[in-house]
Amino acid sequence: MLNHHMQLAWHYFVQEYHQPHQKLLRWVQAILMVFIVTLTLSSNTIQQYLQGNLQNLLGADAVLTQKDKLTDKQLTSLVSLSENVVNTLQIKATLTFNDKWQSATLKAVGNDYPLQGELLTSTSLQNPATVTKGGPIAGNIWLDSRLFASLTLSMGDVIKLGKQSLTVSKVLIHEPDRLMEGHNVAMRAIVNLKDMEKLAFPSDLILHRYLVTAEKHQIKQLIEWQQEQLPAAKIHHKSGAHPLALFWQRTENFLGLASIILFFMAAIAIEQIAQVHLKKEQYFSAICMSLGASKATGLQLSLFKWLINILVLIPIVAILSGVFHWLVVNWLSETFAEITWQFELWLTVKTIATSVLLFAVFHSPVWLTLCQTSVSKLFHQNQKSISLGLVKISAVAVLVLVAVNYSDNGLLTSMLVGSILITIMLMAAISWLVLTLGEKTTQQFSGLIPFTLFMMKQRLLSKSTQILGIGLSTFLLLFTLMFLKDLGDTMMSYQRTHDGNVMVSQASQPEMDAIEQWSKDNDINLRQSKSYVYSKVVKINGLTLKEFTTKPSDSLATLSRSIRLHWTKSIPKTNRLVQGKWWSENTEDWQQISIEEEVMTDLSLVLGDKLTFIIHQQSYTFTITASHVYKPGAGSIIFWVQMPETAIQHINAPHYNMASLELNDDQWPLLGQLWQKHPTIRMVSLQEMTKQFDDILSMITKVISGFAVMIILLAIIVILSSINALESKEKKKNSVIMSFGFLKSTCLQLNIIEWLITALIIATGAIAGTYITGMLIYQSQFSLSYQPNFLTLFITLTIILSTVTLLGIYASRHSLKSSVKQLMADV
Amino acid sequence: MSCSIELKNVSQSFENNSSTKNASEENNSTITLFENLNLSINQGQSYAITGPSGAGKSSLLMLISGLEKPSTGQGSFINGDHISTLDNLRSDIGFIFQQFHLLPELTALHNIALPLKLRGDKQAIKKAQHWLEKVGLSDRANHKPSQLSGGEQQRVAIARALVFSPKFIFADEPTGNLDQHNATEISDILFSCCQENNAGLVIVTHSHTLSSKAQNIYSLSNGTLTKAPTTSSVNDQQVETQQVASC
Repeated sequence: MLNHHMQLAWHYFVQEYHQPHQKLLRWVQAILMVFIVTLTLSSNTIQQYLQGNLQNLLGADAVLTQKDKLTDKQLTSLVSLSENVVNTLQIKATLTFNDKWQSATLKAVGNDYPLQGELLTSTSLQNPATVTKGGPIAGNIWLDSRLFASLTLSMGDVIKLGKQSLTVSKVLIHEPDRLMEGHNVAMRAIVNLKDMEKLAFPSDLILHRYLVTAEKHQIKQLIEWQQEQLPAAKIHHKSGAHPLALFWQRTENFLGLASIILFFMAAIAIEQIAQVHLKKEQYFSAICMSLGASKATGLQLSLFKWLINILVLIPIVAILSGVFHWLVVNWLSETFAEITWQFELWLTVKTIATSVLLFAVFHSPVWLTLCQTSVSKLFHQNQKSISLGLVKISAVAVLVLVAVNYSDNGLLTSMLVGSILITIMLMAAISWLVLTLGEKTTQQFSGLIPFTLFMMKQRLLSKSTQILGIGLSTFLLLFTLMFLKDLGDTMMSYQRTHDGNVMVSQASQPEMDAIEQWSKDNDINLRQSKSYVYSKVVKINGLTLKEFTTKPSDSLATLSRSIRLHWTKSIPKTNRLVQGKWWSENTEDWQQISIEEEVMTDLSLVLGDKLTFIIHQQSYTFTITASHVYKPGAGSIIFWVQMPETAIQHINAPHYNMASLELNDDQWPLLGQLWQKHPTIRMVSLQEMTKQFDDILSMITKVISGFAVMIILLAIIVILSSINALESKEKKKNSVIMSFGFLKSTCLQLNIIEWLITALIIATGAIAGTYITGMLIYQSQFSLSYQPNFLTLFITLTIILSTVTLLGIYASRHSLKSSVKQLMADV
Repeated sequence: MSCSIELKNVSQSFENNSSTKNASEENNSTITLFENLNLSINQGQSYAITGPSGAGKSSLLMLISGLEKPSTGQGSFINGDHISTLDNLRSDIGFIFQQFHLLPELTALHNIALPLKLRGDKQAIKKAQHWLEKVGLSDRANHKPSQLSGGEQQRVAIARALVFSPKFIFADEPTGNLDQHNATEISDILFSCCQENNAGLVIVTHSHTLSSKAQNIYSLSNGTLTKAPTTSSVNDQQVETQQVASC
């Protein structure tokens, strides 16, 4: 019997294949599945790559890094907890040769390097690599091929670094301890440990990396020891997480959360399509039962037909997802060298299966209704309201599941969902207002417009559902595109408000003095400079960062590294006070801080919370007494954390400076002189920063544009499905109107007017919803201030109006294929 | 001034493309419903067209109302001295269907007001209320079609068809979905309202009871339209009809 039912289901599937409601359902399911599968596969590839990176490029069983050199006692403890320890040093420096300069990571190693893995070098760019034991001898430097080419060096050239001269003796091909800690694929160079000593860089700029071999139980002890004795240090080990794993997990979660938007739109489309499904399936089932079939037969046929529909989609989804996954991996290969694409069958199957389950939840009201079907439904056809309520409930259930799965930021999730709900209510209110008021005010007038308003008001419920569906889709699309535009504009404006065209992000006090002198000597405009010390947050209210919160956040990720702590007498011109009270100029209570508002929100900090910092190996606890935000117009050097000027007398730590300079075109080559003497000054030109912004913006644009394409596709499907749901009613209405003696052209005119009014309501609702969402989300989540441009809004209104109207009219052309004859034949 | 519809030598046929058992052969046959048919419909009079299923009654109705063109022959609309094509008849005709075809989202009152609203009549609701009273449903004004019985729905449909004072009403099996009692009541209302409003009434029906109420009875069968003799009982019934339903 089951076999027979499956054959029957296949027969009906083939019959219904080209019907609009089946086509639309397939499109919705396909788009969602392709998105989810591509996201999952890409995420998995990245995490696997990072794991591989961790396993293969740690160069040790564990690596302990910190800014300061271990004391003898600390080193003894480290050695006792491991089998072997190799010390390496690392610093960011700018290398110069002739008139060229290039920032790079400079590493210093001894003869005991590498600890694990192979160090490969070559005697020239063309020669093959050979395994090398130990680093360069004193007076020599090895550079990687990119750095080699960037400075146009030849073997044997001499690079001047500070007061040292180093001879280029080898090309660095591969280091076994190149764990990716950031997304910059920095160029690299290696010198001898003794040369690093001679270079005498500021000691706290140097990162000390201790490569360790140890057993698993030793690593566990090491971690406990580090947390107790060296809270400011970081330890990476092969059983732990990659430094970048959390960032990419967050990215996946963010995109997954954004998929709520897609699921919402899919829910709207499926809800519209379900109306048609419900009617047809119930009718078919009732007919079968009137012919002697059981209720289970109808249910089974529906189930099998739905399954066949899904099965037919799966190969297409798998292929498309594979292709998109390949494209994503290709794109990411610019950031992750050697990342490779691999077809993950099991993961694809698992993700598709999960999506299918979600779709089954969407479709369950249809099956539940079939369980209640009887022959009496053929006589009484007015039972749909309960079933449609079930459709809405199942849609909400799916959305909740998706939100729970991907949410790692409760605030963003609730804001997103809240915005959608507000827009729904707004759109419903606007629909009701426009149609009710419109009908009342035009009652005394004659013509097609008053008639259209009258008809729309009478059909308020079905029309509102259509308006809501299309309106929400339009709102989501508008918000996505607006966000993209505003993000880009903000980044551009940030660059424009930049003071000067060279930004100094780090200069020690002697280096700053040198910069000031060099600026005077060369008549270069030093716009502004601000001092800071490096500090690392280790505790909040007595709890470690891990204990304080388990929710990942951007702020937490940044606080896990050293940050800049600035001091100031009064509130800087680049800031505005948001909460609390700024300290007085000569306050004795120096243990106060002001924190950037975004960080406060992100970490749920309040005034009165205590933060403990490690500054130059000393612990200091501060109380949050104020909160500030960026105020444009006075430069762009800003700090997350600021303390009173009186605090600096109590803190023994090297001072660093940020500054901005303005150089003329002919002054650029002078930078090389400055760097040659002070290679550790971190300076970047506005051009480079612009390029960085452009790269970041380009990446964000690609992601958001891809998202927008999906939203557009789904929006079209929502429009089509809402029209499809009402098509039979529309046809009948048009036939009845023609039976009063009117022509098809009248029906077309009515259709146009109706869509114009619908589009107007949709456009108004979408723009209002976008405005509210912008106000809610922009500042708190993305640190963007929301300033709507009314001209842009007006143009957007016009575009939405014309697009929705044209699309609606075109899509509902089938409803005009009606006639009085059909009414007669409809017996 | 009285109007009439004239059909002269009209024929209606259509192509029947059917494939035979041999896949390579296709049989194109023409099915002719009727040929060289002549018919005159006068405003103010009632007509019934009967005949077996498939005879072409509904197609004839489509030709008379000008919604379809005949394969051969010609239909004319004669308005006093002015003769024009049936295209000019459009705004002066109303339809009543077997399935009622009321718009489910509108109340009874609004369903009746619909054609007037379309014409921009500012008195639409008032006139609709008047017609609702005429068909005996003034207390059901705010009820939707789903809340009305079949007979009540058809009464609303009759009111809707007549509210804009058409010159002709075309009814396709108006009592087909009704029980005996309702059918009698509806037919009485239909005939009396049409007579009162001087609208020509053309009914397509299988029902002998209904057709016998018409002043002119035609039978369409085997492609031929023949007029059945009118009996005095028809006239008697019309008098009774006027007494039963006040229209």
